Amino acid sequence: MTTLWQALRRLAQYRDLFYTLSVHRLKVRYKQSVLGPSWALLQPLSLMLIYTAIFSRIARMPSDGAPYALFAYSALLPWTYFATSLSMSTNSLVSQVSLVTKVYFPREILPLTYVAAALIDFLAASIILAGMLFFYHVPLTAQALYVVPTVAILTMFAIAVSLMLCIVQVRFRDIGVALPLLLQVWMFATPVIYPLSVVPAKWQRLYVLNPMVGIIESFRRVILQGAPPEMHSLGIAAVISALFLPLAFVCFKRLETTVADII
Amino acid sequence: MIDLSLERVSKRYRVQRTFDSRVGSRGLLQRLRSIGRRSDEFWALQDVSFQVARGETLGIIGHNGAGKSTILKLLSGVTTPTSGEMRIQGRLSALIEVGSGFHPELTGRENVFLSGSILGMRRREIAAKLERIIDFAGVREFIDTPVKHYSSGMYVRLGFSIAAHLEPDILLLDEVLAVGDAAFQVKCLDRINELHRQGRTIVFISHDLASVERLCGRVLLLSHGRIIANGSARDVIEKYESVGSGYTTSEHAVVAETTLTHEAEIVSVACVDGNDRPVTALRTGEPTRVRVRYVVHKPLTDAIIELYVFNVSYSSWCQMTTASQHGEGMPLGEGPGVVEFESDELGFLPGMYHISATIIHADHQRGIDWQHQCLTLRVDPGKFVRGSFYMPHRWRSVLSEAKLYSSPRG
Repeated sequence: MTTLWQALRRLAQYRDLFYTLSVHRLKVRYKQSVLGPSWALLQPLSLMLIYTAIFSRIARMPSDGAPYALFAYSALLPWTYFATSLSMSTNSLVSQVSLVTKVYFPREILPLTYVAAALIDFLAASIILAGMLFFYHVPLTAQALYVVPTVAILTMFAIAVSLMLCIVQVRFRDIGVALPLLLQVWMFATPVIYPLSVVPAKWQRLYVLNPMVGIIESFRRVILQGAPPEMHSLGIAAVISALFLPLAFVCFKRLETTVADII
Repeated sequence: MIDLSLERVSKRYRVQRTFDSRVGSRGLLQRLRSIGRRSDEFWALQDVSFQVARGETLGIIGHNGAGKSTILKLLSGVTTPTSGEMRIQGRLSALIEVGSGFHPELTGRENVFLSGSILGMRRREIAAKLERIIDFAGVREFIDTPVKHYSSGMYVRLGFSIAAHLEPDILLLDEVLAVGDAAFQVKCLDRINELHRQGRTIVFISHDLASVERLCGRVLLLSHGRIIANGSARDVIEKYESVGSGYTTSEHAVVAETTLTHEAEIVSVACVDGNDRPVTALRTGEPTRVRVRYVVHKPLTDAIIELYVFNVSYSSWCQMTTASQHGEGMPLGEGPGVVEFESDELGFLPGMYHISATIIHADHQRGIDWQHQCLTLRVDPGKFVRGSFYMPHRWRSVLSEAKLYSSPRG
């Protein structure tokens, strides 16, 4: 039984593999299609257009004073990063059966490379966000720098959930099947298409326990409103992520040893 | 200096009952309940202990399912033992599948980096060795095309080349030499020999007994998850062929086919030694006699008796025939008879062979009798030679003086 520290050291030894595989994920997408790299931009963009049409034009959803398109996109961007990380990582071990059963390397590298690829997509798609901010004449304040710790917390949480999902997926393939539905429900439980303010006060206590609430709301706030992040919910998100990540990692390493046997 | 040590290692697999077998016939409730139920157990390895010293080349042989691949998986870290202790000293690389990690859309060059890092090399290391890897594989003209366009030979050569340039302290090899053509296999063996000369420890798992004998000083024999022999290559290989495979040379009389004319019948086929006694095994390079007993029901004028010898994988075979130079048959009178095929030096390498016997008419139009696999022949190591078959030969040294040295006859 290797200790947590040894496991982290081993992971560091394989950083070259992590780098190579992450680059590989991006390259492969590029090679396989014409639209390949632009999919990173198309996904949040097209969702934003659809939601704007439905929720703003038709349902007249409030949007905290900002134009709805901008409102939606600034939330869809980090949400897409999260959702893509999860959906790609969940099947990462199962889809690479031959590697897992033939060669040894720290298995967590597989889901991590997908999270890394999703992060790159996120950065690429944020160019559009910058463009939209310019278009709508929304100035950026110094508060926007809070984006960095917010995204850091988001990354921690995404990694933690991805690790748990992909290792459970090996034994219970239902996870992979249920995931799209799970993510859809989760999105509705997060202030992506609606602002936090429409959530009734009596539900708010429970509502903010969802780490994505603090993350998305803060991300949007510091960029669109130039205000400091929503400390209460972001604090909850930070604490949950900080606790969950090492837990998920330990769990993963425990179950990792049986993966090759049951995959 | 001990590089590898296994102490009382056992590995148990739980044979899973898949949930989706016979969908619908098991209710949802039953399936949910079965999540907690214990599944069948299978012990792939039981109480295995051995050590490998630095610089040693160890071979592991055994029948299919004996546990060889499980040992490999345990050593490479792909799985962990259920009980027992494993100690590994030094960097270990396992080559279980050639081209592991290759992605068809990437070029050869990109795949070298990908596969190399999967196998444990640093990017810097790969970059430094890149040219040598490409040269060894002989794919320089195609190194920048996607590997999906490679022939299977190129694919295998590139994959092996990457692994061949790993510089592990301990190298594990599993049947990887089974792929590729003969020239490639020679390259592989040369490279393995070179690694051995560099003092690296090698563990070699294979069914190719000739290679095992050639490369390994010590050999382990596994059977049903246990080590049943641990000694010199030659001793253990002999033991394998008598115990592990379960066959000895024997006689069978097999029921004939109905499409044959049956004017004569082969009664038995047996190998005998110089004193006409049946033998259980033959040896490479040694005198051999195969005796075919038959009985003729209707006198024949142009019969040919033939023996077909196949190796276990049917990849190699030869024939012994009574046909004359011009393909003529011989007359056979009614009643029983015996024909003996003789060879001064048996041309088969160690292994298992099947012999089928047939009597046909010389015009090859009609078969008279065919006995399929009526004899299983076991060939033990005799004179030590390499290759696919043994070529009978003698040698002598020709000196300028009158003295001549030569090999003993036979």
